[in-house]
Amino acid sequence: MQADPTNAEARAIDWLIRQRDPSFDDWDGFADWLAEDPGHAAVYDALACLDQDLDALPAAPRPVIADIATTPPRPSRRSWFGGAIAAAMVGAVSLSSLGLFGNAERIETLAGEHRSITLADGSKIDINGGSVIEIDPDRPRFARLETGEAMFHVVHRDNDPFVVETGGARIVDLGTAFNVVRRDRQTSVAVSEGIVLYNPDRDNVRLVAGKGIAAQDGDRQPPIVQDVDVANVGSWRTGLLVYNGTPLAVVAEDLKRTAGMQVRIAPEASALSFRGALIIDKNRGRTIADLAALSGTRAERQGEGWILTR
Amino acid sequence: MAFQSKQSMTEPRDRTDAVQGIEGVLLANRDRIVRFLEVRGAGDGAEDLFQDLWMRLTDRQSGPIADPLPYIMRAANNLMLDRYRSARQRDLRDKAWGEASAATHAPSSETSLISREQLRLVETAIAATGDRPAQIFRRFRVDGIGQRDIAVEMGVSLSTVESDLRKVYAALAMVRRQFDAS
Repeated sequence: MQADPTNAEARAIDWLIRQRDPSFDDWDGFADWLAEDPGHAAVYDALACLDQDLDALPAAPRPVIADIATTPPRPSRRSWFGGAIAAAMVGAVSLSSLGLFGNAERIETLAGEHRSITLADGSKIDINGGSVIEIDPDRPRFARLETGEAMFHVVHRDNDPFVVETGGARIVDLGTAFNVVRRDRQTSVAVSEGIVLYNPDRDNVRLVAGKGIAAQDGDRQPPIVQDVDVANVGSWRTGLLVYNGTPLAVVAEDLKRTAGMQVRIAPEASALSFRGALIIDKNRGRTIADLAALSGTRAERQGEGWILTR
Repeated sequence: MAFQSKQSMTEPRDRTDAVQGIEGVLLANRDRIVRFLEVRGAGDGAEDLFQDLWMRLTDRQSGPIADPLPYIMRAANNLMLDRYRSARQRDLRDKAWGEASAATHAPSSETSLISREQLRLVETAIAATGDRPAQIFRRFRVDGIGQRDIAVEMGVSLSTVESDLRKVYAALAMVRRQFDAS
């Protein structure tokens, strides 16, 4: 039968890990591997099934949302991890009856797919395409944006702030509508109403309506507060994308997420930035034509999508 | 400028379009999907399962899908996994029946197949791989953070994250074999 069951297992593990990435698309490669040996499917099933059961693992406790007024000295990152490990060990004894994350609901949108959800407290989340967000019925005042973009209209409660977690950052509302984008190693927040605190226990940046930040993962300094146009915060929901000197690659990413459009930027055009407003027209060709005209590039069809060249 | 005069905003394409889109892609890639189901363990049943998959995908409320084929393949993979779970559940129940277990639950792909006891063993096994692998695994699997982000957060290379994840999964595979043996 299988020449080497351990090797088959190692390969199955690699597939499992890769497939956790929402953008995984090597299903043909996976099928080829399965076809190599009739035993492979069973090895994979057994592991994938166990992997699914791991949903029952309790989440490592996170630092509690500090009372914003009396922020205690923030534990260092190192001790935070140490604490999480220690907690994980304790978990091995006292365990999952807590089921802290057992009810978490993962919402995944495809590129171009928009979805709106209303939470128990009346707060509303508009989720852009290509995004993954996690909510938990047991923690109604919390959401995690793993990747992508979402606009939050949060019902404010004085003693129970709404917290959005993304990347390593926490965004705490003080009565609010705000938009969050999580792209590769970068988090942007823009506020259209009320006030939010960005990382109250670390950077403690206060953002009022009309302000925003863009933070890179690993930044040592708190992000710099910038002006944003309130009218354009979360305007992707109505098909309007507004830019002020944004790299074309970022615009392309937004078009993919918001409208499911595949736009590639030729290397010689990658340094160009874009300033202006794009309307996502029903006729996507017009949107591309606008983008090309306003960025000084040429658009050509390429496969299902377009490529912008200089 | 041209863009300013346009008033119409995105009208999400309606559901019918989306469904037609999915059906079109299902049809266009029929052979590929059936082959996948075959090697995924469906064997001769692949054609029937293709119909199941069709029902699942066209029945579902969903917006337009930009990249439908990977989406369909993932759904096909999940379909097979659900079948595996149901079958395994039946086996476990039959086994338990022999041991005069009381309440039996209808097989469902929702219910967890491992007991609390086993979950505890799993947690111990994860912790035993070491602090860093356990933490990386937790961020990856429980918190759903991508490998690249974990690497940055932990200040290690991407390949370290990968090898730690493999290590933990290998430990879990071993635990699973013990469950089966017991």
